Amino acid sequence: MTSWSKLLMVSALLLFLLPFFTLLVSASSEDVVTLALTEAEETLASTHEAVLEAEQAGANVSDLLDKSNLANEYLAEAYVWYRLGVFENASRFAGLCSDVIGGVRSEAFELRDEAKKLGEADFVMNMIWSVVGVSVVLVSGSVAWLVFRRRYHRWVGLRSEVVSGES
Amino acid sequence: MNLDEYRTLFLVVTLGLALVAAYPALAMVVPFTGASEEFSEFWLLGPGHTAEDYPFNVGAGEMHSIFVCLGNHMGSSEYYMVYVKFGNSTQLDFDSSKPGSLPPLYEFRVFVGDEDVWESPVTFGFQNVYIGDTVLIVDNVTMNVPIEDAVLSVDDVIINGMVFPVDASTTWDSEKSGFYFRLSFELWRYDTMLKSFRFHNRVVWLQLNMTGS
Repeated sequence: MTSWSKLLMVSALLLFLLPFFTLLVSASSEDVVTLALTEAEETLASTHEAVLEAEQAGANVSDLLDKSNLANEYLAEAYVWYRLGVFENASRFAGLCSDVIGGVRSEAFELRDEAKKLGEADFVMNMIWSVVGVSVVLVSGSVAWLVFRRRYHRWVGLRSEVVSGES
Repeated sequence: MNLDEYRTLFLVVTLGLALVAAYPALAMVVPFTGASEEFSEFWLLGPGHTAEDYPFNVGAGEMHSIFVCLGNHMGSSEYYMVYVKFGNSTQLDFDSSKPGSLPPLYEFRVFVGDEDVWESPVTFGFQNVYIGDTVLIVDNVTMNVPIEDAVLSVDDVIINGMVFPVDASTTWDSEKSGFYFRLSFELWRYDTMLKSFRFHNRVVWLQLNMTGS
C-alpha cells in the first residue's frame, strides 16, 4: 500500500468519524450548559429564600430585589437560548447570572443575619419594656386600690357617725 | 356603688392598662392585623399602556407591542416566572387550572416585593406565514383551495427580537371568520417548600387573527 493510499484511508476514516465527534462535543457542551443553568437557578432560588428570611426579620429588601432581577433577566435569557439550542449564548448568560447573583446572595445572607440580630434585640427590648410597664401598672393599681379602700372606709365611717349623731 | 363594685372597676381598669403596657411584647407573638387574602394579579396592557387597542389582526412581517404586568399581594416577596407560548386554540385551551401543554418560547423571571407591581414590554411578530401546501407569502395570496378547507401555518414567532421556530397551524374559523392563534402568558411561582416553580393558576392571552398582510 502506498503512502498516498494510506493517507486516503486515514482521511476517509476521519471524515467518517467527524459527525460522531461533533455530536459528542455538542452533547458535552449541552451538559456543561445544563449544569451551569442548574447551578445559576439554584443560586437564585437560595438567594430568594435568604431575601425572604431577611424580609421576615424586618429588613428592607427592595435593593436586593432590584439587584437580583438583573440576574433573573440573564437566567431567563440563558434558558431561552438553551431551548433554541444556542449553547454558547446560554452558557454566557448563565455565567453572567452567576457573576451577578454571587454578590447579591452573600449580601442577602448578611442582611438576613443583621436583621435577625436586630429583631432579637428588639424582641428583648420589647419584652423588658412590657414587663416593666405591666409591673408599674399592677403596682400602681394595687397602691391606688389600697389608698382608695382606706379612704372609702374612712368616708363610710364618717357618714355612719353623722347618721348616728343625727339620730 | 359599694366596695365590691369599686373593686371590680379597679380590676378591669388595671387589667386594661396592663394589656396596653404588654402590647409591644404581645405584638411580636400575636398578629393583630387581620389575615388578608393572598393573591397575585396578572394582566396584559395594550401598546398605549392601557387596557385597550390590543393587537388582534396580525400578519407576517408586522411587529406589535404589549405590556405584561403582575402584582404581588402574597404578603411577602415572591419569585415569579412568566412563560410565553404560541399556538392554536386547541393547543392552548385554557381553564386556568393547568398550564398549556406546549413548551415555552420565551420567559421572564422576576422577584417582586410585597404589594409591588412588575411590568415588561413585549414586542412580537410572525414570519413564514403560509396557507396549505403552496408556500404563500400572504401578500401574494393565490389560493387553490376554498378558504374553509385551508390550513394556515406559522413557522416563526419573533418575541423581543428573538426568532423562535414553531409548529403552529390552524383551520379557518367560519364562525369568527379568521385564522385564530393565541399568544399566551402563564404565571408560575417559586414554591419554597417544593423548591421549584409551580403553575400559579393564572393565564392571560391574546387572541390573534392571522390576516397575513
